[in-house]
Amino acid sequence: METPIRLENLRDASLETMAEYFKVDVSNAVLQRFHTLGLPNKKSESYRYFPMESLLSTEYEALDFAPLEVHEKEKIEILDGQVISIPPYVRVYYTHYDDIDMEHYDPMYYLGHLLNPRVIMIEIDGDRSIELIHRFTKPNALIHYRLVIKNQANRHTTLYESFESTNAQGSLVLYGYDMVVAPDSTLRVIKNQNIQNEAYACVSSHHYKVNKQANLVLQSFDFGNTAALDLFKVELDSYATLDAGHLLYLLGKTRRGIVSQIVHKGEHSSSKQEAKSILEDDARGIFDALIRVEHSAIHAKTVQNSKAVLLGEHCYMISKPQLEIYIDELEASHGATTGQLDTKQLFYLRSRGISEKEAKKMLIIAFANTLIDHIKDARYQEKVQKSFEETFYSHTKESI
Amino acid sequence: MITLDIKDLHAKIGDKEILKGLNLQLEAGKVHAIMGPNGAGKSTLSKAIVGHYDVEITAGDILYKGKSILEMEAEERALEGIFLSFQHPVEIPGVNNAYFLRTALNAKRKHEGKEELNAAEFLRAMKGHLEALGMKSDMISRSLNEGFSGGEKKRNEILQMLILEPEVIILDEIDSGLDIDALRAVSEGINKMKDGKRTFLVITHYSRILDYIEPDYIHVLKEGKVIKTAGVELVAKLEADGYDGIVEE
Repeated sequence: METPIRLENLRDASLETMAEYFKVDVSNAVLQRFHTLGLPNKKSESYRYFPMESLLSTEYEALDFAPLEVHEKEKIEILDGQVISIPPYVRVYYTHYDDIDMEHYDPMYYLGHLLNPRVIMIEIDGDRSIELIHRFTKPNALIHYRLVIKNQANRHTTLYESFESTNAQGSLVLYGYDMVVAPDSTLRVIKNQNIQNEAYACVSSHHYKVNKQANLVLQSFDFGNTAALDLFKVELDSYATLDAGHLLYLLGKTRRGIVSQIVHKGEHSSSKQEAKSILEDDARGIFDALIRVEHSAIHAKTVQNSKAVLLGEHCYMISKPQLEIYIDELEASHGATTGQLDTKQLFYLRSRGISEKEAKKMLIIAFANTLIDHIKDARYQEKVQKSFEETFYSHTKESI
Repeated sequence: MITLDIKDLHAKIGDKEILKGLNLQLEAGKVHAIMGPNGAGKSTLSKAIVGHYDVEITAGDILYKGKSILEMEAEERALEGIFLSFQHPVEIPGVNNAYFLRTALNAKRKHEGKEELNAAEFLRAMKGHLEALGMKSDMISRSLNEGFSGGEKKRNEILQMLILEPEVIILDEIDSGLDIDALRAVSEGINKMKDGKRTFLVITHYSRILDYIEPDYIHVLKEGKVIKTAGVELVAKLEADGYDGIVEE
């Protein structure tokens, strides 16, 4: 039986009311943290440029949890928040999760855990490349779930994350990861989310803990014309590394972007974060990214950069790269540029007989390719490239 | 026959007038060298011919095969056969060099009513040029000019020239930053294009490249005007007396 849910009703609710709603004790630490942070509003720094209030005010159908049959396949599939297939070398089960980050900046992280007291635990053995498909099929629904992913020490894991939807118009997807990257291991997460025609809105809130000498690679490719916000926090232990790249290609009146916090906790930890955004029409892109280097993170290295190309007359980009540094012994740099296509590059191509329109296309695709080319697996690289080019060319065709 | 006829050309960049009534005629099949001191307007002239956005033409005309090109876009001039080898070719990360070259070639072939080349046909056509220029084959699979040395960028310019087969070739300081081997390879590439029909405009500070590409005419450009035109013997005089020793004709 599906019942309506309106998250806005939780705003300004007392701790007791919330405890009753989520069926937890008032002493529950996650509940207390959520109550302290409160539901996001226009004044919340992380949601300042995103229409969160309107999403929270909408009434959605709440989906009842009714376990579905799980099949063995070469990929993990999650249908409207429930696992329906897993590969044989992965352990997947529903469980309570106790290692929740109690210093996360995002209230939706805690709301996610309160809505999903049982998370989908995914334990990956050995060196693996795994495809994870999120599939949404319910209209006007609140689709919520959380995943915990753990790999093994000294192993290399790649997770290819993609999204499919049919008939999910008007739904709000709230999901997120807690990922624990084991010591001396490498975890690569490549996300390809192309949401067209306002299929659904998505707010994802993640926490990544990168243990000693481990490497986390986050590559996100977000295309389309629908509201979506990706919020994450990464904690880096000694000698841990993060290599993050984000490509946004936004159309229409969408509001979409990345809000991140990278925390250097261990010595010699290093991070690199590169965001590239291409905005058309009236789109608004968000790159609100903080890097914090704590006292314990001596000799840390961090580089952060955001580049945005504005193609529409009314689009705009909010770029907020920020550094918060508590030590002297480190290397750090950050920067942001927002502008049109490079006139020198454009002229160079035109001077070889390439039309202005074709030259612009080449430069836009090239701009995107500088991140797409970083995908190691050629097959998946081609898939992301195709997804981008299809979106780009169909929009270009429309705008002729 | 005059291929390019520049008449009383005045041009400015920003508020500064650089070309101040420049007259120059380029003959078909000949190699014209333009020499002159810094700031004389050599690069502005090359930019004016190819329709660079920096340059505003305020008076005069540029006739190509008897027709004014001032109203033509940069790509139209290129398709009609005007080619500029840039002094500082830009780097374009993410644009594959081979893809760029094939797109440019196919744009030209389409303009000429010829069939476009597919990737395999194009690579076959490229092979000989790469070898002649001493370019490694991986250079065409890299991003356009990205991370190329100065010499590699100039060789890549010449590669484009060889592929596009233009009729008027402007070489803006093609010799700058080249070591002797690169200079020889680039010069050989240029000489390969000399067929008695194509016109070359070689812009240079130094006479060294003129040992490799024998010019038919030397034009001295000073303060936005061509002040002297003579044969190759003028080079020796310039070396001996400098530009101050040249008296306007």
